[in-house]
Amino acid sequence: MLELKVLQAVRLKGLVSPDDLAATVDEADDAVAETVAALTQSGLLVVDETVQLSPDGRARLTELLAAERSTFDADAVSAGYDAFRGINGDFKALVTDWQLKDGEPNTHEDMDYDAAVLGRLDDIHARVIPIIRDVADHLPRLASYAAKLDRAHRKIIRGERIWLTRPIIDSYHTVWFELHEELILACGLTRQGEAEAGHAQ
Amino acid sequence: MSTARNGATGQPASGFVAPPVVVLDGGAALASEVLGNKGYGINVMRRSGLPVPPAFCLTTEVCRGHLADPEHTVDAIWDAVLHAMSWLEAECGHTFGRGSRPLLVSVRSGAVESMPGMLDTVLDLGIDDEVHDALAASFTPTFADDTRERFRRMYRRIVLGDEDGTVPDEPYAQLRGAIEAVFNSWDSPRALAYRRHHRLDPDEGTAVVVQAMVFGNMDTTTSGTGVLFSRNPMTGADEPFGEWLPGGQGEDVVSGTTGCEPVTALRNEQPAVYDQLLEAAGMLERLGRDVQEIEFTIEEGKLWLLQTRRATRSAQAAVRLSLRLRAERLIDDAEALRRVTPTHVETLLRPSLQPETRLAARLLAQGLPACPGVVSGRAYTDVDAAVDAAGEGADVILVRPSTSPDDVQGMLAARGIVTEIGGATSHAAVVSREIGRPAIVGCGVGVAAALEGRLVTIDGTEGEVRDGILQLRAWSERDSPELKALAELARQISPLRAHAKGPHPRLDPSSESAVREALQAGHTDVVSANPLITMLTALRVAG
Repeated sequence: MLELKVLQAVRLKGLVSPDDLAATVDEADDAVAETVAALTQSGLLVVDETVQLSPDGRARLTELLAAERSTFDADAVSAGYDAFRGINGDFKALVTDWQLKDGEPNTHEDMDYDAAVLGRLDDIHARVIPIIRDVADHLPRLASYAAKLDRAHRKIIRGERIWLTRPIIDSYHTVWFELHEELILACGLTRQGEAEAGHAQ
Repeated sequence: MSTARNGATGQPASGFVAPPVVVLDGGAALASEVLGNKGYGINVMRRSGLPVPPAFCLTTEVCRGHLADPEHTVDAIWDAVLHAMSWLEAECGHTFGRGSRPLLVSVRSGAVESMPGMLDTVLDLGIDDEVHDALAASFTPTFADDTRERFRRMYRRIVLGDEDGTVPDEPYAQLRGAIEAVFNSWDSPRALAYRRHHRLDPDEGTAVVVQAMVFGNMDTTTSGTGVLFSRNPMTGADEPFGEWLPGGQGEDVVSGTTGCEPVTALRNEQPAVYDQLLEAAGMLERLGRDVQEIEFTIEEGKLWLLQTRRATRSAQAAVRLSLRLRAERLIDDAEALRRVTPTHVETLLRPSLQPETRLAARLLAQGLPACPGVVSGRAYTDVDAAVDAAGEGADVILVRPSTSPDDVQGMLAARGIVTEIGGATSHAAVVSREIGRPAIVGCGVGVAAALEGRLVTIDGTEGEVRDGILQLRAWSERDSPELKALAELARQISPLRAHAKGPHPRLDPSSESAVREALQAGHTDVVSANPLITMLTALRVAG
């Protein structure tokens, strides 16, 4: 499973430093380092200062994900994705309200406004964690998304607001975005297909 | 408090200073604060003999009363509303909610500029099964179905705020529902926030205009709807400008439905109507002493004007038009200076895509502006290729079907981002805003293939992708003839004359408070970095 976790994490980040990779894979550092070394050795990863997938690595990832899809109850995961989609719109609206206030960039000077938006995040967080746990009962690899969302959420509550939307780092939005991608793939769908079905507004 | 009488109904309207329901037949002698800007404009157009669908309004006073006492206010004036509806029926020769020639109405809020969160317009109101059948018999079943569908969709979306909500069957219930919804929306959270932010009067209230429908959706050859600007609001050029949608209704133009033609297409399609429209525009421009933005409908070859207002315009147009209208003696020197704000000039002094440049370059794609700014580069649809090219110093515009985590590295490498699918809350929009890359989302399927490899300029403020590398240009107070002309004018009138150099005290920075101080200190001449901005500020401060 670690091989799949590492390849998928590298794919989702595009380019990632070894340290950030270890953090996002959410496994023991030395186990991750070993796996990265082995995958580099077999030409699936390209490492200079950052880690990237090679074309072979991409192919291997596709294989592993397809194999994984035969190990879990597709209907159960589909149901989980439907439930996720139910809150996805709310979450994205919240993020946009965080970034834009009355159509202008949010200067974050209005503490009441910001507090109201973060209150909505608390609600959404409470709703999404059980959904991820249910999916993880069938697809255990995804359990770490709950932990990563939780970590980001706690940082936000502590006042470290960049952990809501900053890209690349495992901010709440980044983790959510990646989780969405995982669910799409796990259901055998495509991002484009989903977007065309209206689930990308 | 004296009780006023409604001229149209003769009924006492207890508790109101002005009649609560006013027919807009050209004779209504009330201010726009009472009638709302829309109602006021309709009355002026009627008085000028222009073809306007008959309308009446419920005043801002009624709104204030309703918000204070939602239980009783509309009840108390409902008779006056019914009486006004009778007037509408008589004016049109149609009957509301019954008969073989049914009257349909639009219900709109009274403000000319819509406020976010406020209910704007419900069209085609007054349809039940009987009315639908009468419309099908008089016109066509397609028209009857299309019109009822439009009504239900808008009513659900705007009045009920619920896509699956139940629309009242009974036409008068529909009317009442829409009217109360407009009043209630004055206090919607977004509208409240907007007024707070812009320091607008919180208690004004909104009027409601009820107007007979005319049908741009009657057919696609002799009917349609459009917007005409009496002059180009982007460049300020003295030429008609706008959009025309054959077979459409107002909401179609506003929502940017495809099929919109430039309004000048009417010159060929319906020349007599076009001339009539331009004549009306000229008249309204002279009456309003300013460029007009006119919403109109053509129903089977007959022109109807629905609404007119002062056109919103670019900074370039604001400057050019103020000088132009002064040269035409429509406005005097002081008014010309009042129409250009310090902010307009500040905008012009920054590099931007000039409207002429923009309009001259081919429009390749259009979408929702997600993050503002203008950037140019070569379009790449493959993320790895984009990252590589950017690594070699190229200016990259990333164009993707939608956005997945795969794309974020490409987005970071790019100067700007375009997507085929996605809206204001999409991941592409969110990430672009975070990293500050101009972005346009939802341009439509096929755009990536169409743009691949081309040199393009994307405007994340307007939501446009145009052909070629377009230069940004800034005006300057020293070199731009229009700004020099305004500065000369200002120097004659402004209580504080500002110069680029000379034996005068230096105003640095030339903020509003600094200007205020200089005026209070009794200075008549100062030196400042931006003399025109300083003088426009002084004129505003001095009132």
